[in-house]
Amino acid sequence: MGNMLFLASALIALVALGVSAIRFFRGPDTLDRVVAFDVITIISISLIAIIGFIMQRSVLIDVALVYALLSFLGVIIIAKYVERGL
Amino acid sequence: MIESILFIVLALLALASAVVAVISKNLVTSIISAGLVSLLASLLYLLMSAPDVAMTEAAIGSSLATIIFFYVLNRIRAKEDSRD
Amino acid sequence: MIRTFGIILTLIGVAFLFFSLFLEYETPLELSGSASYYAASTAEDTGSANLVSAIVVTYRGLDTLGEVTILFLTSSIMSYMLKTKKARNQRTFRESSELLRTASALLVPFIILLGVFIFVHGHLSPGGGFQGGAVLASALVLLLVADPLYTVQSRILSVIESSSGFLYVLLGLSGLLFGAGFLDSRVLPTGRVGELFSAGLIPLIYILIGLKVGTELSNLLSVFHSVQGQDLMEDEGGAR
Repeated sequence: MGNMLFLASALIALVALGVSAIRFFRGPDTLDRVVAFDVITIISISLIAIIGFIMQRSVLIDVALVYALLSFLGVIIIAKYVERGL
Repeated sequence: MIESILFIVLALLALASAVVAVISKNLVTSIISAGLVSLLASLLYLLMSAPDVAMTEAAIGSSLATIIFFYVLNRIRAKEDSRD
Repeated sequence: MIRTFGIILTLIGVAFLFFSLFLEYETPLELSGSASYYAASTAEDTGSANLVSAIVVTYRGLDTLGEVTILFLTSSIMSYMLKTKKARNQRTFRESSELLRTASALLVPFIILLGVFIFVHGHLSPGGGFQGGAVLASALVLLLVADPLYTVQSRILSVIESSSGFLYVLLGLSGLLFGAGFLDSRVLPTGRVGELFSAGLIPLIYILIGLKVGTELSNLLSVFHSVQGQDLMEDEGGAR
């Protein structure tokens, strides 16, 4: 039962990834793409945790930690570049 | 089963963003697409149970490389601005 | 348009090719040659729970030394190419927002903690010196982004960098004296697999690699940051 729940959430996270990827590919503006990139990163953090549960390997959480602490840096740099503040 | 589905979808997304990175006319879009390729590649490494490689890709490919690209792009833009 | 279509068609063809390979691929049930040796005897040989760390630091230790040297060369060449005559306070930067400054003051200690955790636990959990060093360098980027006038003490960086490189080679030579060969990790007792103080020299070497890679990447990024910003001279005389 619990395993089914995680499989279903993996599928839902995958669908969310696909939807934000559509925004990334279609997005007319650069900023749309930046926001889509950030959303994809955040969804992948949860996806990594779910994969770690499904594969029964708790060490994968370390990778999710790295993403969680570092992913916003790139977005900050892009925002400062667009605002000419870098 | 679920791992195969994840693998195929993530690989197709990585392929599509690589195509965007190549054919896009906007440099910023290209760099973000390259970062997205790194992100999806690190997820693929995780699915192939290689967390060490995935961590390297997360820290360097997806984060530091993008930052260095934007530093360089900003410098080029400052040069062009001062020339006008 | 036709060119784009051709590119996409070619990519679909390549994807189809690889997909058929993927379908035919069966995970081999037995490891081949050297892989089976590593899988069977790494824990016994080195006492490391993480197989990749053991291979990177001991079995292929010489390659790691070469990689660190290459990174050092890249970093020093970048510093040489991008050195600026203008001092930092002669440039103008847009001030960072309150949100960013608060977040960086809150997050930088945790990012440094994560980096140190990654390279100290290199023999137990995924990651190691290179990953931890990259995380440390990211902490510096956050500091620089939050406060553009933050000056990096390049003197301290160079002292840490060179002393850790020196100690790394020294530890390798100690393996030559007391162990089986250069960079042999069994100088210290290997201990029990899965404990923090185990695996011989692997944690020590990974700490040194982490410090070295972290300072090298920090130096690289601070050099890149030091050429950013508007020059005051150009700003006054320029059109804007």
